[in-house]
Amino acid sequence: MSLLSRLTLTACACVALGGFARADALTDAVVDGHILPTYEALASRTAAFAEIAQADCAPTSAPLQAAWGRAFDAWVAASHLRFGPSETENRAFAIAFWPDSRSKTPKALVGLLRDADPVIATAETFATASVAVRGFYALEFLFYDPAYATLATPDYTCNLIRAISRDLAANTAAILTDWQTGFADSLRHPGPETGDRYRTVEEAHQEVFKALTTGLEILTDMRLGRPLGTFDHPRPNRAEARRSGRSLRHIQIQLAALRSLALLLSEGDKALTEQVRHVFDKADRHAERLSGDPALAGVSDPQKRFQIEALQQDIRDIKSLADTGIGPKLGVEAGFNALDGD
Amino acid sequence: MQSRRGFLAGLMASSMAPKATWADAGTPAFLAAGKDELDLFVIAGLSDTGQVLFRHPLPGRGHAASAHPTRPEAVAFARRPGRFADVIDCCSGAQLARLEPPLGHHFYGHGVFSPDASVLFTTENAYETAEGMIGLWDANTYARIGQFPSGAIGPHEVLLRRDAPGLVIANGGIETHPDSGRAKLNIPFMRPSLSYLTLEGEIEEIMELPAELHKNSIRHIAVRGDGTVGFAMQWQGDPGDEVPIVGLHRPGHTPRLLAEDDPRIRNLHGYGGSIAFSGTETQIAVTSPRGGMVQVMECSTGRLVAEHHLPDVCGLAPTASGLLASTGTGAILRIGPTVAHLATAPLAWDNHLIPLG
Repeated sequence: MSLLSRLTLTACACVALGGFARADALTDAVVDGHILPTYEALASRTAAFAEIAQADCAPTSAPLQAAWGRAFDAWVAASHLRFGPSETENRAFAIAFWPDSRSKTPKALVGLLRDADPVIATAETFATASVAVRGFYALEFLFYDPAYATLATPDYTCNLIRAISRDLAANTAAILTDWQTGFADSLRHPGPETGDRYRTVEEAHQEVFKALTTGLEILTDMRLGRPLGTFDHPRPNRAEARRSGRSLRHIQIQLAALRSLALLLSEGDKALTEQVRHVFDKADRHAERLSGDPALAGVSDPQKRFQIEALQQDIRDIKSLADTGIGPKLGVEAGFNALDGD
Repeated sequence: MQSRRGFLAGLMASSMAPKATWADAGTPAFLAAGKDELDLFVIAGLSDTGQVLFRHPLPGRGHAASAHPTRPEAVAFARRPGRFADVIDCCSGAQLARLEPPLGHHFYGHGVFSPDASVLFTTENAYETAEGMIGLWDANTYARIGQFPSGAIGPHEVLLRRDAPGLVIANGGIETHPDSGRAKLNIPFMRPSLSYLTLEGEIEEIMELPAELHKNSIRHIAVRGDGTVGFAMQWQGDPGDEVPIVGLHRPGHTPRLLAEDDPRIRNLHGYGGSIAFSGTETQIAVTSPRGGMVQVMECSTGRLVAEHHLPDVCGLAPTASGLLASTGTGAILRIGPTVAHLATAPLAWDNHLIPLG
């Protein structure tokens, strides 16, 4: 065997081993540095909120609303992780039913309150209620829209708030437990030993990469796109959580969460890491510029609208860096059919 | 000594030749278009376990295909706005004919043979007038023999009715023009439909959904033994709107939309890729490459009964006991109560798996 071919073989072996080791390290870093802490925060803050609600359930209570806000923040930071335990038993929908293009949440809430529906009596019965009345957005109507304050007796409203908070705590705890007791392993160790949920390291990488692009799409198409509508027909009433003035806040929280994920996925590539920082910094600056407009009402004002559109463009730029930089680094390609079906 | 190939070619050419059958092509169970490891486009025949039995090059990206009912010939359609449909001899690999749409028309990527195998019908766009057309081709000589309107803009998939002689056509409703590429020109006014035509082109029925769903492009269909048509839609309205993706329609009856109130419909990202009834015809399934998802619904109750995560899944076809799916990563999977991975080819499978026989 020639020296050259021996060198080539050695080099190949190193690349292969290096590739494999890095692959495991990457999934571990995402699970330990991003996913688990995100769900731990969500479970603990939701539990804290449910505890407060047991003692203090007046819809106008400032401590209650603040605890709800802290838990909601933690959900938004997890809202791109739409796979595995968050899908089981429709948990993610029950935690956060949005967008709600058919106004199912207000309709179902009015029904519950008017009828004093006994479905709220126990955790078991409430778990069978429509997902539209079981999460953070239903609570927002109860806390911030005065129209809901007088539809039922204060006792019923109080018990409904407690029921939703308990259900939220149970769902977020279940997601965390599932991650800790099996799902994290199936992502870290793909293959038959973990039930083939993921068959290869590439599939595991594809899943975490998809979480990043899903989050970016939620930002451009939903959190920004739905209120933006079109120039001739802006839709300010579609801004997420506008009643509590949290629309912009959610965008900023999700950007921070996606930055952390994007940096983990870019780990080891200095130039790419720099680019990731650069595009997220730009989006953060443009989001900061909107701080006087927490509910994105500016979509209807041509002067302010372009600033919101600029932020949407920043996030599209992040998405294209993900597709052209991070995806190829991970060996993940945009799908042949997903990219351009027919 | 004469080569085997030369001998066969001579045999085929002689009038005394026994007619080739699908058995001579290895009895494929499915056809599928794809892209190979060199980024070249192909049409392939697959066994019932997903093994590639043959593959033949295409001049551009394919979409669906039609299999001649008796002769081992596949017509591979270019994806829209398509300028070719190649007729391939699936035994020899020879190209028997190339169908080119008449001036001012392009193909949409689907077609079907008449029940007596005498005519091939193709969906076409007469783009200067944006009229949906069905092209007619002699299925022996592959000469153009006529055309008639499909009943609406954007005819995409066409299949034979099974409750009566005739065609059922999914009219996507979206106007496009080759000068504007794949740009959609009429979204605010689009009116998708299912149209039912006699084999002679007489329109017997047009089914449209309620006005609030006029942006739900009806693109792909499957036909059950009793004539019920399953249809898959692609939402052209705002992302995040909660809309049905699958419906069932029996000619003469009101359409039913499936799993309409199930939040998991969102996992399809507003996009139904392919649709198929299960082998037992009690369930209907839809693929969404954008959601990386197959959803299975029960026909009788309309309920969503199973979800399967499959990255870049799109092709879908019935098997005797369940369903088969193909993906852009080259996988062929059996979908029953669970998903079984049958085969992986070094190909990216395109939108459709076309069952034979």
